[in-house]
Formats: sequence, structure tokens, C-alpha cells
Amino acid sequence: MTGYGRGPPTASRPRSTSHPPLTPGALILPPLALAPTGETPVTGNHPIVSRYRIPSLPSADPRGRPRPSLAMANTLRLYLTCIRNTLEAAMCLQNFPCQEVERHNKPEVELKTSPELLLNPVLICRNEAEKCLVETSINSIRISLKVKQADELENILAKKFLRFLSMRAEAFQVLRRKPVQGYDISFLITNYHCEDMHKHKLIDFIVQFMEDIDKEISELKLSVNTRGRLVATEFLKQFI
Amino acid sequence: MAFFSSGSRALVEILTRLQSAERPMPVDQTFFEFGSMKYHIQASPSDPENVHLSISTPSLSHEASPSTALPEFTLQETMKTYRDFAEVSRLHSVVLSSQLKHILGNLGSSGTTRLVYNHRDPFFVSRTPGKLNAIFPMRFRDDTDLAVATSFFQELQDAGNSYSKAPKCSWSAIPPPELRGESVHHLTTNGGFVSFDILERHVKRRRAAKTAWILLNFQSYVKYHIKCTRSYIQSRMRKRQERLTEVIQDARLRGSDNTKKLQVRKKSKRRLISLGKAKKLQKGFRAVVDRMKRLRLWIRVRALDRLRRHYRQCFAVPRVKGNKYYDKLE
Repeated sequence: MTGYGRGPPTASRPRSTSHPPLTPGALILPPLALAPTGETPVTGNHPIVSRYRIPSLPSADPRGRPRPSLAMANTLRLYLTCIRNTLEAAMCLQNFPCQEVERHNKPEVELKTSPELLLNPVLICRNEAEKCLVETSINSIRISLKVKQADELENILAKKFLRFLSMRAEAFQVLRRKPVQGYDISFLITNYHCEDMHKHKLIDFIVQFMEDIDKEISELKLSVNTRGRLVATEFLKQFI
Repeated sequence: MAFFSSGSRALVEILTRLQSAERPMPVDQTFFEFGSMKYHIQASPSDPENVHLSISTPSLSHEASPSTALPEFTLQETMKTYRDFAEVSRLHSVVLSSQLKHILGNLGSSGTTRLVYNHRDPFFVSRTPGKLNAIFPMRFRDDTDLAVATSFFQELQDAGNSYSKAPKCSWSAIPPPELRGESVHHLTTNGGFVSFDILERHVKRRRAAKTAWILLNFQSYVKYHIKCTRSYIQSRMRKRQERLTEVIQDARLRGSDNTKKLQVRKKSKRRLISLGKAKKLQKGFRAVVDRMKRLRLWIRVRALDRLRRHYRQCFAVPRVKGNKYYDKLE
């Protein structure tokens, strides 16, 4: 990914192929690996999306069987740390008026009309179901999240909850009303947000948002099942 | 459970008040319960011995449009159950159970029939030697209702195994074998089929009316549970949204009153810290000066006055005044 800590890329500056600093455990997949998974490379002047997959940790148990909850918590930590580091590197935004229309200032990551203003998107995958796409431009950054949905009930609850939040996007300021296609929820952070808010707190918010979403969906599912069990028990007690 | 209490508390209360009133008072009151039960009470001072009570209850029938009048056997059954106010308040469940008994009697020793209660979705009753099966095809408006209901049916199935006295409950996505031969239109559902195995002990004596009432209100119960679950989910989502909003508000650089109050508190803390540091510095300086004086006394030797004078000139220790006032330099 270009432009990490070196300022925005210009048309004259060639794109470098150096990768951003990664957390230990993150793995870079070569671009050719994208083809078998069905991910279509971006055409035109845009390079192929860089993908990072967080591998599962080796277990400390000598018999080689990791504790599921501990392994999950560790992969979640790695995943969130990778996202945090990527955002810290990517969130170097500055004001940049629109090159095509006078006196207009638009988030370039949404329009994608000028390829010289866009950086390589980064896709961070925890597994097949959970991923995070970070698209950066000179004056804006778009973060799209795909949330884990194990079964039908989680799917419904996640859809409902994320739609609830998206409808109240003005309260969050950086939240997009409609998620990017293929993802569950998206954020759009512009240079104006970076001027109004602390950068590290913005990143903390994104990471905390991801943790809270997972936690809330799990708790909702548990509550629905617990309520169902209690109600079923009370119903059957009527016959006794 | 209040949802399944077949007795009408409002009716019992009104009748008890009428009975315990010191003077006969005129009453002409109409009220509704369970969405379809209508009660009309009339009493006049001219006839203090009698209170006229009219009950309108939806009936159980094979078709969607029920008949207007109650059959004779039902009226006879209700006249037997006329002892006290509590029994009167349960008349509607007696009516329903008597109708259900009659329908099942017409069915013979085995067979399946479709019943409709109060314009709701039809359900099936299948009779086999030794038991009755009440089968409810469940239909829901949207995916959320379906997901919540499916979770509830699975819990109901699991809980039924743990209570031996309760009827055995099963849920299946496909129509059970008892419904073979029924029209496809009646068997098209998105919520599957819930079946209850009713044995003889569940309909013995007075339990028949209660069991009939519980089963006939099963679909309403499920819808009520879904409604409560949805409102619970909504309230939880709102709380989480508020918490997340606070986090993003804290990320602001300037402008909020809370941050200003925080800054004022921080400034006052800083002043207290600076005063404390000044006192510590003063103490430390005094300690150093005292030590140097002690060193000077220890080093003094009689024969070395010259050296002492020289030492005084080189290492002159300034006298520190105790007061804080300083002389202005000209």
C-alpha cells in the first residue's frame, strides 16, 4: 500500500510496492491467489487489492488441540490489532478540492474518478465470513465490515441491528447510510472528521464498534434463546 | 399464567361488587376480553335478585365462517357449570371444550379434521386410538418473526421432553403423516408444523376445558411472544446505539460542555500540584544547606585559619532568607 507516512501520492510519483507494517502473525497472500477465490481484480490503473489473512495461532496444548474460546479470542485480538494498525497508517487525510468541478470538495474514495488520488485498498480477512475492506484516498477513507453470521438467527439479528444503526447514521457522523455491496456496514471518514475529532479516538471508535457488534449479536441470540426456553417452560407448566 | 387464565377477572370483580353492594344500583356495562369475547351485564334496582349477563364468544367450527347459534348440547353443558362467579367467568372455555368434544365425537375412533377458531389460521385435530394430535400450521409475516418462532419451537420441543406430565410437543418443517390427503393450500407454511400429543390424563374431568382453552390460544401465545421479543430486541439495540454514540461524541476535539468542565477541573488540579512542588523544593534546598553547614563545622581545624579563610571565599554558602520577598535589583 502506498503513501504510508509519506504524504499523498501524486501523478508523477510511481507507485511503490512496499507493504504496510504488519502485526506478527499476519500473512500476505500473493495477488495471483485472488483468482481461485473468485475475487475479481480491479481493472484499469488500480492495482490488485492486497489481502491479509490472520492465521489461527498454534496451540500451547502439547496434544495440539487448541481451546476454542481462547483461540477465537486470540484471533479476534490479532484481527482487531491488524485493522487498528492499518487505519493508523491509512488515516493521513488532507483537504483536497475536487479536480473536476470548481469549488467542490468531494470524498475521492466514493467517486473514484482520479486514480492518482486513490491508494491500494486493503482487505483484512479473519476467515471466510469476517473481513474488513479499507479503501483510502487523499481526503477520505472508507471502511467496510462483514460481520460473522453463523446461522439464520444471527443473520437476521445482524441485519436488523446494522440496519437500525445505519438508519441513525447522523448520530455517528462517520457511518455510511448504505453499506458497500458485499458488506454489512460501512464508514466514511473525511479530512473534516479528522479535523474535528482525535484521530486515535476515531480509530478506537471503529475498533470498539466492531467488538460491540459481535458482542451485541451474541448476547441478543443468547437472550432470544433464553426467553424462548422460559416461555416454553411456562407454557408447558399450564398442563401440569 | 395470566395469558391462559380462562376466567375473566373483570367479570368476577363486577359480579362480586354487585353482590356486596349495600343498595341495589343500576348497571349496564359492556366490555371485551381476548379481542373477541364480549360481556354485557345488566342490573336494575327494581329487580335486585337478578343480574343479566350476556356472553358473546367466537365458536369453534370446521369452516372459516362460524355458525351464529350455539348447539343445544353446548347450552346444556354450560348450565351444569353454573355454581359461582369463578365458574361463570370460565363459561367461554366450557363452550369451546364442549364444541371440541362434540366434533371429536363425530370423528369416530380415528380421523383428521380441520378447525377454525375466531377467524384465525385453521389447525388440525387428528384422533388415533389412545391419543389426540393437535397440529398447528404456523405462518409468519417476515423473517424476523420466523427466526424467533423457530427458536421458540425448538426450545418447546426440548422442554417438552423434560416435563413428563405435559403433552409431548414436536416441530417439523414438513407436514406430519397425519395430514396426508389434506389440500396443499392448507399445508403451505413458512413456520413449519407444531404438534401436541394429548393423552387421556390431559382431558380428564375438568382439565378438558383448560386444555382446550390453552391449545386454542397457542397461536396467539406465539404471536405475543414474538411481539415481546421484538420489543426487547429493539430496546437493547437502542441502548447499544446510545453507548456507541457517547464514544464518538467523546472523540470530538472541542465544543462540548463536558470537555470544558473537565478542563476546568484539570486546571485546578494543576494549581494544587504546583503549590505542593514548591514546598518540596524549599524543604530539599534547606536540607542541602544544613548538610553543607555541618560539613563545614566538621572540617574546621585550629591551625588552618588561613586555609579556612580561603575556603570561605571559594565556597561561600548564601544565606537563605525564610521570607518569600526578594530585593529588587536596580
